[in-house]
Amino acid sequence: MKALKFSVAAILFAACALVVTPPAAAHHSGAMFDDAKVVELKGTIKEMQWKNPHVWIQVVVDQDGKATEWSLEAGSPNSLSRNGWRSTTFKAGDEVVVRLNPMKDGTAAGMFIGAKFAADGKTIGRWQ
Amino acid sequence: MMRRTAIALFIAAAVFAGGRLIAAQAQSAAHTPAAGLPDWSGIWAMQGPTVFDRASVQPQNGRAGDAGVREFPPYTDEWEARYKKNIELIKEGRFPDPITTCGTPHGFPRVMNLPDVYEFAVTPQATYILTENGPNIIRVYTDGRKHPAPEDRWPTYSGASVGRWEGDTLVFETVSAKGSSDNDVIVDRTGMILSSDARFVTRLRKVNDMAMEAQMVIEDPKALKAPWKITKQYRKLPAGTWAWDYGCAENNRNPVSGSGKTLTLGPDGKPIDKKVD
Repeated sequence: MKALKFSVAAILFAACALVVTPPAAAHHSGAMFDDAKVVELKGTIKEMQWKNPHVWIQVVVDQDGKATEWSLEAGSPNSLSRNGWRSTTFKAGDEVVVRLNPMKDGTAAGMFIGAKFAADGKTIGRWQ
Repeated sequence: MMRRTAIALFIAAAVFAGGRLIAAQAQSAAHTPAAGLPDWSGIWAMQGPTVFDRASVQPQNGRAGDAGVREFPPYTDEWEARYKKNIELIKEGRFPDPITTCGTPHGFPRVMNLPDVYEFAVTPQATYILTENGPNIIRVYTDGRKHPAPEDRWPTYSGASVGRWEGDTLVFETVSAKGSSDNDVIVDRTGMILSSDARFVTRLRKVNDMAMEAQMVIEDPKALKAPWKITKQYRKLPAGTWAWDYGCAENNRNPVSGSGKTLTLGPDGKPIDKKVD
């Protein structure tokens, strides 16, 4: 998990049943995600791909002085739109803190859990 | 001149009123079930997770696709062994869901066990089960026809369904649903599979204004030692809820590798997994 030693605000939470919640329904196996771990990252939205079968959120994170782009997978735009999301929920340049179940192999990607916007403190997704 | 103007205004008013009447009738028709048939209008969502047989799943509340989660259909020894093999593949991360290849239908009976939403279109001749997560359309013909003769049918994802109304319950039998050959169709992500010889009797009814229920009895002379009974429930979502297009190929960033591993693509379309095999 060396990749998770970030200089800014990456925190690896210990496995915690109270925090870990089921991922969004996916059209594929979730074997690549470690749903026993929750990673929190502070970064800047580069792009949100509001398309089926999954919404993807691209977040640029400063890791040890190096800008690293993370790919966060969420549910389908169909299901998310019925839960308050819009195609404009994340805009390029938004400063956020995001939580995710990371990929097991240490790739800079994971299943989106929730996010908090720096500008107004609003949250979306699961954020307890 | 004034008389011609008055006539023109009268005609315009009549056309306008007629148009409103037609529109009102059309709207009324859209909300009125066919005579004698139940009103299953609206948008519905299956209750609970996508474990097909929640009554037998172990561990309790286990999620389909998680390592070690399984159900207990009354499998023959041969098919129990096949199921166990799939469970091992899941532990290795090499049991891809067939629908990951976009455009692949879920197949019957899995189609009754999906996330996202459902619509049920009831007509005198047929009832159509439409799933947002798809592509899937189950056509249940209720016009008195029989199943095609064995020589006139072949295994398809949705199978062939004919039904009848028993009061407000639609009872239909499904045959020729494509079973698993090399896990190309699954029942759920725990690795459960059935054969193309399976027959399904489904009793679909509205329990109350907010709930529907599908009771299924599955018989499969190849895979099962005894009938397998399953109940799925659906709840109605608020009025005005939309179902949307589900174009899986629009931006599928999770292709499957030759070894059965589900990959993850970056925004540039290239795999970002540490190891691709």
